[in-house]
Amino acid sequence: MNKLKNLVYPYLLWMGVLVLLPTLLVLLLSISDLDIFNLGPFNFSDDAFSFLGREEVKIAAINSIKYSVLATIFCFVIGYPVAYFLSNSNSKNKTLYVTLLIIPIWSNMLLRIIAWERLFFPVSILNVFGISLDLIGTDTAIIIGMVSMYLPFMVLPIYSVLEKLDKNLIEASKDLGANEFKTFRKVIFPLSIGGVVSGTIMTLLPAMTAFALPERLGGSKIILIGNIVEDYFIKSGNINAGSLISIILMVVIVVMFIVIVKFDKEGETLI
Amino acid sequence: MEKLVNIKNITKSFDETIVLKDLSLFINHNEFVTLLGPSGCGKTTLLRLIGGFETADSGEIIFNGESMENVPSYKREINTVFQNYALFPHLNVFENIAFGLRISKKTEVEINELVSYALKLVKLVGFEKRSVKKMSGGQQQRVAIARAIVNKPKLLLLDEPLGALDLKLRQDMQYELKEIQKTLGISFIFVTHDQEEALTMSDTVVVMNDGVIQQIGTPEDIYNEPENKFTAMFIGESNIIDGVMKKDFLVEFEGIEFECVDKGFNKNELVEIVIRPEDIVLSKETKGKITGVVDDITFKGVHYEIIIMVANKEYVVHSTDHEEIGSIVSLNFDPDDIHVMKRTNE
Repeated sequence: MNKLKNLVYPYLLWMGVLVLLPTLLVLLLSISDLDIFNLGPFNFSDDAFSFLGREEVKIAAINSIKYSVLATIFCFVIGYPVAYFLSNSNSKNKTLYVTLLIIPIWSNMLLRIIAWERLFFPVSILNVFGISLDLIGTDTAIIIGMVSMYLPFMVLPIYSVLEKLDKNLIEASKDLGANEFKTFRKVIFPLSIGGVVSGTIMTLLPAMTAFALPERLGGSKIILIGNIVEDYFIKSGNINAGSLISIILMVVIVVMFIVIVKFDKEGETLI
Repeated sequence: MEKLVNIKNITKSFDETIVLKDLSLFINHNEFVTLLGPSGCGKTTLLRLIGGFETADSGEIIFNGESMENVPSYKREINTVFQNYALFPHLNVFENIAFGLRISKKTEVEINELVSYALKLVKLVGFEKRSVKKMSGGQQQRVAIARAIVNKPKLLLLDEPLGALDLKLRQDMQYELKEIQKTLGISFIFVTHDQEEALTMSDTVVVMNDGVIQQIGTPEDIYNEPENKFTAMFIGESNIIDGVMKKDFLVEFEGIEFECVDKGFNKNELVEIVIRPEDIVLSKETKGKITGVVDDITFKGVHYEIIIMVANKEYVVHSTDHEEIGSIVSLNFDPDDIHVMKRTNE
């Protein structure tokens, strides 16, 4: 066992260099006036905080929350029934259906975003069917894009909870006089709440921090917080402000994961 | 008075395997019925058909004068205690028991009253706020019973509810279940593969094997007058001997004629004879009718189990006296210890 333990060290080194070190660097950048493209002396500074009050940051933050919450609601409304019927299905093709749901995750997200972008232009392959969409830069485009990207992350945790649900409990509920609907409301749904919380966070997080998706489908009209970070880092050279926003987002993510762990002590819903 | 449950010619199969074959049975009001049989005999399937969790291929179940065809389980005045209890993990003890009452829209006052009565009945007063996940098997089982009886069903189904409990707790619960049944005055159908449990608790025992009822009777009937080899073998230990019925009250086996209390067989009909191990009395001398050699002896606590070889046939005898291996003994029994059955073709 002790010999095997040594095999962990390369991984720890990898984590240290590629995860821990950059995170520390971002943290330092957010509280100083250091410019990594033009290294100078390190001075603590709270200049970055003044950027938080900027109109563009406020709008982007509100947009991020608005679109991610809307997308999550749509994902839940579509995803819960899908997970429910999948888990209840006696079909031999059940595994096939679940696989079909997962397959899109395996293809590159940027490619899928570009595919949607092509369809949303007035001139697209849809013209063959006599349809011409002009959706780039609209709420609809962002929401359709987000729902199609993140729906599997909502379905899978709910599916895995429902799949493990003791079918005896459903029989017990019916035995005690509850019809299908009451059984769902009083037994099945309350027992799947852990999966719903996991699914919500797994959808909300990537949707909130998305930047490629709003950039392509938002047609530079709709700016999310991810776009601000990208802009500050790469285009306007405000690395310190970009770092600060990243750190804040990271804190939000950590808090959400604490919520998941609290709701899901056995870790049964995390993929 | 009309029967509470009347099961008529029920047949049920799962994927080509026939589980119940043309089975008929009735259950009276205020009766404790046990379905007894080895695993796979169809007893749980029969219970699930009555509860409404399975649909029969053919046949009919009449409950309280009404056909249960197309009546879903949630509309039947029947409640079930499930094998694994199936308590709702997201609800505490009180809410688990109140589940059915809330569905039937009882008032808060009624719910409080009925739940505390049910808790008193299963001796769990003070456990209202406890999480069911943090209870022992025995306590969970009591909650399951309380949750079922609180709805005042006409019939309670129990699917091997004592299976997971240790021996002592199990014996206590057998007694308590019988008490609860008497107190409530409703019918219980209790499924078990434990013959002792069945004999202890029931008014009526239904012995099942391979989807067919082997015998229906009181515990005494089933034990003392088994109708066939299966019942004799399954209920308690038995010596089963081939013999010939000479005439009424006279049977021949081991080459000797014995007086017995059975009649109604054909002259010289081939029969099987059951003698219970505890009914055989050993004597040292060879003056008994059958003589054999002690082959093995095992201490069982209350008695010794002694195997005696009589002309290459084993006899099991229960005796409180020790016998030396190899010693010659004779077997004695009274006419009413001999029970004659029709021979089954196997």
